[in-house]
Amino acid sequence: MDKQVQETQSPQAFDMWGLTPLQILLFALADDEFILGYRNSEWTGIAPILEEDVAFSSMSQDEIGHARLYYELLQELTGTMADKLAYSRKPNEYLCCRLVEHRKLDWAHAIARQFLYDTADHVRLEALTHSKYEPLANATQKIIREEKYHLMHGDMWLTRLAKLSTDSRARLEGALVVLWPDALGIFEPLPGEEQLIADGVLPGTMSDMCTDWLGQITPYFYNLELPFPATLDERTGLYIPTVEPVYGGRRGQHTGEFTELWKEMTSVYRLDPEAVW
Amino acid sequence: MPVFEIFQQPREGKAFEHGGNLVAPDVEMAILYAREFYARRQESHSIWIVPREAIVEISDQDLLHPPAVDRSYRSVAGYSVRDTLRATRGAVAGSNQPD
Amino acid sequence: MEDQNHIEEFTAFVQKGGKVEPGDWMPDEYRKAVLKFVEMHANSELMGVLPEREWINKAPTLKRKLALTAKVQDEVGHAELLYRVAEDLGKSREDMLQDLLDGKTKFHNVFHYPTYSWGDVAIIAWLVDAAAIQSQKALLDSSYAPYARTMQKICWEESFHIKHGYDIVITMMNGTQQQKEMIQEALNRWWPPLVMFHGPPTPIEKDRDLHYRIKAKHNGVLRQEFFAKYIPKIFELGLTLPDPNIHFDTEANEWKYTEPDWNELKMVVTGHGPRSQERLDLRRVAYADTQWVRDVVLGKAA
Repeated sequence: MDKQVQETQSPQAFDMWGLTPLQILLFALADDEFILGYRNSEWTGIAPILEEDVAFSSMSQDEIGHARLYYELLQELTGTMADKLAYSRKPNEYLCCRLVEHRKLDWAHAIARQFLYDTADHVRLEALTHSKYEPLANATQKIIREEKYHLMHGDMWLTRLAKLSTDSRARLEGALVVLWPDALGIFEPLPGEEQLIADGVLPGTMSDMCTDWLGQITPYFYNLELPFPATLDERTGLYIPTVEPVYGGRRGQHTGEFTELWKEMTSVYRLDPEAVW
Repeated sequence: MPVFEIFQQPREGKAFEHGGNLVAPDVEMAILYAREFYARRQESHSIWIVPREAIVEISDQDLLHPPAVDRSYRSVAGYSVRDTLRATRGAVAGSNQPD
Repeated sequence: MEDQNHIEEFTAFVQKGGKVEPGDWMPDEYRKAVLKFVEMHANSELMGVLPEREWINKAPTLKRKLALTAKVQDEVGHAELLYRVAEDLGKSREDMLQDLLDGKTKFHNVFHYPTYSWGDVAIIAWLVDAAAIQSQKALLDSSYAPYARTMQKICWEESFHIKHGYDIVITMMNGTQQQKEMIQEALNRWWPPLVMFHGPPTPIEKDRDLHYRIKAKHNGVLRQEFFAKYIPKIFELGLTLPDPNIHFDTEANEWKYTEPDWNELKMVVTGHGPRSQERLDLRRVAYADTQWVRDVVLGKAA
């Protein structure tokens, strides 16, 4: 895995402060789902097993569908149509985390990413169902119910890859080691987070959610004896990550892989952004 | 006593439908009684007899009718071509297209 | 065991509309014919995924992205359903996939051609699917009952595919000059393969699949049905067809067209089409890359 991420733009190139903290939060949520939906749909048609091809594609469609819900909330706030929000921004205006950017690699990588993302997203969604910003609370209350299937899927596959053969276990462990720093980046503090917390839009800090997440998934990694880069702080009873998270996504800093995807996913749209497609 | 769920195929080539169930101590007796209870009016072309405990059910509506995403994109009703079709037809009729 | 009387009885039975279930007695020739037919259908669904799949990450709106992903997903799902029907006739999925990758079995001609623009996506979803549905509807009455039942599910699931394609075509024909040209160019590319889609007119007595009612309609009849339903819709949008001879002959009550070079069809489906090898190569690589997953999960690894 390419550790040297290539920056698309300097952090200053995108003026975050043109966006309100609420808009930043919604873009982060929308873009995570949007880009992961794109990456997962790269398996549609060529997944390992026909039955799984269909299942993984449904999850990809769920993610795009959830992104659309968040973009529609932004449409309400900004007056810009959801499609335009999704396709007309420059690469450094997307606020997705690094984890979702990686192109399709092997199946163990896809499963490891999906598991880490879905379990983390679940913690985030659970918090947001209590948001004082009602449209977001309403949307996440529905979305969290759709994630049930994702969690079942992740559980089934993670367990099988970890247990069924030494080869699959080695592949899974390898993928996890590579992905951990990016996964911790899901909870990169958002610009303007203090404001969101003061307003009750965000019921807890990203850092607290990260701690909750690590606590929730410990049993999995403990039972399956998989690499888990966190230590228990005996004093507080909380898990503290032992690897450095990869941050930057929430500030529009992305990898070269993301730029490649951006070029592809906007290629038809950019032929004529004013046209109806 | 074990319960057997009975599926009936009403006619040749048709799909099997759930008809009901019966109790019997074993499969052999279930076969005899299924014939009586689900075919004595000759209403079945074929019968499947399945031990109830072999049936796995999904009924969680979050799995079967996930509530968040508008999935009309995968149904015919999700596309309304009427207005664009009319506009396109109008534009074609207005130009000098040969018949 | 296969005495001639028994075979004649069976043939008369299916010709009268009788339905055959997997456990029923059937002549070996019938079993082989159904297997070959369904296997090629399954292969076509699976290979039909690839031309459109290239555009899943290029769809220009959220709804188009969702619909195209769902359409391709359906095709994979339909490959699965059809391979299941075929498997019950005595050939494993693994063997069928291997034969496909080895070029020993065929897939439908239209999936051997390249795509160049979003216009191709629209024309494939509208017209290739329309041509396919025409064939598939005729299979609802197949003598092999599991196939007929599966076609019912498939036709129902695919009904949105055509509408999705038609919606893109109309939207673009109602759009900019560039968009209209994209559609016309794509139609020009796809029309010749579409004319060949239903196969050459074969004498009924030589068509084993018709003889056993594995399929219920003659190639030429299906082609005319497709023309009758879709050529008027094509013209209505201001599109033209790249065939100077295309016209409706009121006397013969059928569409006249330039007879295609049937040799091209033969070349294309035997793996010599413009994208045959690239598409098979992509499948081979994807299949090899994921072999370890099947070994682990389907229980072949230690």
